[in-house]
Amino acid sequence: MSKQTLYTSKNWLGKTAAGVILGFGLAIALSGLFAWLGPMGLEGGSGKLQLTMWITAPIWITVISTCFLFKTGLRAWAWLGAANIIAFAGLYLARTMLG
Amino acid sequence: MRTDIVKMYKDVHTWVGIISGLALFIAFYAGAITMFETQLERWASPPADISAPPALEDVDSLIAKVHEAYPETRDNFQVQFYPAPDRPAMVTWQPPRPRSREMFSNTDFYAASLDANGELEVVTLERSQMAQLIDVLHQQVGLPFEHEVAMPIMGTIALMYAVALVSGVIILVPSLIKDLFILRRGKNLKRMWLDAHNVLGIFSLPFHIIMAITAVIFAFHDQIYDTQYEVVYGPERVPELWEVGEVPYPKHADDAQRLTPSEVVARMSEQAPGFTPMVLNYRKSRAGDKTLLVEGMDTRYIVRGPVTGMVYIDPVTGDLLRTDYMPGMQDGWHQTVISFFALHFGTYGGMSVRWAYFFLGLAGAFLFYSGNLLWIESRRKKSRRGKDAVQRKDVRILGALTVGVSLGSIAGISVTIAAAKWLPVMGLATGPVHMAVYYAVFLACVAWAFLRGAALAGKELMYVCALATFLIPFTSAVALLWPTGPVWNHGSLETLMVDLTALLVALCFITIARRAAKRIEAGPTDSIWSAGDVPTPTPAE
Repeated sequence: MSKQTLYTSKNWLGKTAAGVILGFGLAIALSGLFAWLGPMGLEGGSGKLQLTMWITAPIWITVISTCFLFKTGLRAWAWLGAANIIAFAGLYLARTMLG
Repeated sequence: MRTDIVKMYKDVHTWVGIISGLALFIAFYAGAITMFETQLERWASPPADISAPPALEDVDSLIAKVHEAYPETRDNFQVQFYPAPDRPAMVTWQPPRPRSREMFSNTDFYAASLDANGELEVVTLERSQMAQLIDVLHQQVGLPFEHEVAMPIMGTIALMYAVALVSGVIILVPSLIKDLFILRRGKNLKRMWLDAHNVLGIFSLPFHIIMAITAVIFAFHDQIYDTQYEVVYGPERVPELWEVGEVPYPKHADDAQRLTPSEVVARMSEQAPGFTPMVLNYRKSRAGDKTLLVEGMDTRYIVRGPVTGMVYIDPVTGDLLRTDYMPGMQDGWHQTVISFFALHFGTYGGMSVRWAYFFLGLAGAFLFYSGNLLWIESRRKKSRRGKDAVQRKDVRILGALTVGVSLGSIAGISVTIAAAKWLPVMGLATGPVHMAVYYAVFLACVAWAFLRGAALAGKELMYVCALATFLIPFTSAVALLWPTGPVWNHGSLETLMVDLTALLVALCFITIARRAAKRIEAGPTDSIWSAGDVPTPTPAE
C-alpha cells in the first residue's frame, strides 16, 4: 500500500469555505432539479414550492459536515466545484427544455 | 474507522461546540419553556374586568352591537369559541398591524361582552408579552438584536450545531458499543462527563437532527427562496407559481350576509367532522373580498400552527376554499412540509409530547453544558508534588463564561416570568421592559461569574436560579393570601401547573447548588471547580 497522507483539521478554512459556499450552490441546483424534474414538475402548487425550499437544508448540512473528508481545501473546491457545474448544467438544460 | 479521521472530526467537534454551545444552551432552555407558551401567557395575563361570555345564540347580537359602536371592526374581528384568561371574551379585535417583523406583537387588544342588562361592554386587554420574549430568546439564541441581524447569526450557529452532531457521531462510532450503556463514575471526572454527554447525544439524536434542519430553514428561508426564484424558477414565473396559493374567493353581492358563528360551526361539522373550530377570523382581503379564516384542532392530525390548523372558507356560503393547512385535508406536499413544523414545535400527540419535548429541550441544554465541561476537564492541569497547579487562563475564562451564561439565562428567564404579575401594577408590562429585566439579571450573573470564578459562582448563581424560580410560585402565593393585592391567580389547573412546575424546578436547583457547594469543599483542588484555584480579585489582577 502506498503511503497515505493523513487527514488533519489544520487546513479547515479552505475546506469549510468550499463546504459552505459550494454546498449552498449544490443544494440550490439539486433543489432546482427536484422542482423541474421531480413529481408534478412546476405544477405542484405552493406545497411543492415550500418543500423544494426545505430540501436545501439537509443537502447543505450534509456537504458542510462531510467536506472535511477532502484531503485539502483545493480538492474540496475542485470536486464540489465540478459537482456544482454538473448540477447547474442539468438545471439549465431542464429549464431550457421544459421552461 | 481511520484514527486520523476520528482525530480530525474531534477537532472539528471541539471548535464548533465551543463557539456555538452557549448560544445553543439558551436556545434550548428557552425553547423547552416555550412548549408551555400558551399556559405561561394565560398565567401572566391580568384578569380582565369583563362579564362572562354570552351564550352562543347571543353572540350574533353582541357582534351587531360591536359593529354599531365600532364600525372599523366590521371587517376585522374574531370570535373565540374557547375564551381563556389571555382572551377572556367571545368577540375580540386588534387594530390592523402593519406588515413588519417587530419583536413584539401589537399590545392593543379589545374584548367585548354583554353585561347583565344586555348592554355592550368593551375592555382593553393588557396582554403580557413575557411569553413572547422567551420565544424571541429561543429563536434568536439569546441575542438582543433586530430580527434581520439575529437570524443569520442564529443560522450560522444552527449550521455549526449540525456539524457538531455529525462529527459527534463520527467520533463516537469506534467505541459506540463499548461506551454506550455505561456511566463511569469515579475519580476520572472527564470519563463520567463524557459518558453522560455521549449517551444523551446518541439517544436524543433524532430530535437534534430535526432541530438542526428546521433551525437552518427558519434562519435562511428568505435567502433560499430569493436564490431559488432567481436561478431555479426565473423571477418572471414566481408570481404565477405563488398565485396558486391565493385563496379563490367567489364574488358576492356587497350586501350578501356573512354566516353567523353558529352557522359556521354547523357548516364546518358537515364538511369536516372531527374538526373543532376554535377561532373565527372575519377580515377583508386586499382585493376587497370578505374573508373568513377558521382556526381549529383535529386531534387525529398534525397541524401547521403552534397550536391550531386553519382553513379559509367562503364567509357567505361556508364552503371550504383552501385546505392547505386544514388538518387531514392537505395534499402530500403540504402534509410533508407541515410535518417539519410539527416535529419542531412538538404539536402532535398532545400534552405528553409537549412534556417529552420539554425534557428533550432541557436535555439538549445539558448536552451543550456538558460539552463545555469536557473541554474544561480536558485542559485541566494536575497538581504535582503537593503543589497546587494554577489552571490556564483560557480555561478559567471559559469556565466562568459557561457558568455565567447558562445560569444567567436561567435566572433571567425566571425573574422575567415572575415579573409578569408585578409589572402591570407599575404600568410597565411591555415586551421591552421584560427584555430589560431579563438582560439585567443575565448580565449581572455573567459579571458575577467572572468576578468570583467558576467554582464559587457555580454555587452562588445556582442559588440565585433557585431563588429566581421560586419567585414564580411565591408571586402566586402572594395573590392567594392577599386577594385584594396587585397580583392575581386564575385558579385554572393549567396556570396552577406553571406554579407547581416552577416550584419543583426551584427545589432541583437548590439540590444542585448544595452539590456544587460540596464539590468546592471536598473536590480535587487542581480544578477550576475548586475555590482555592480562584485568584482573589484584587485591583492588581
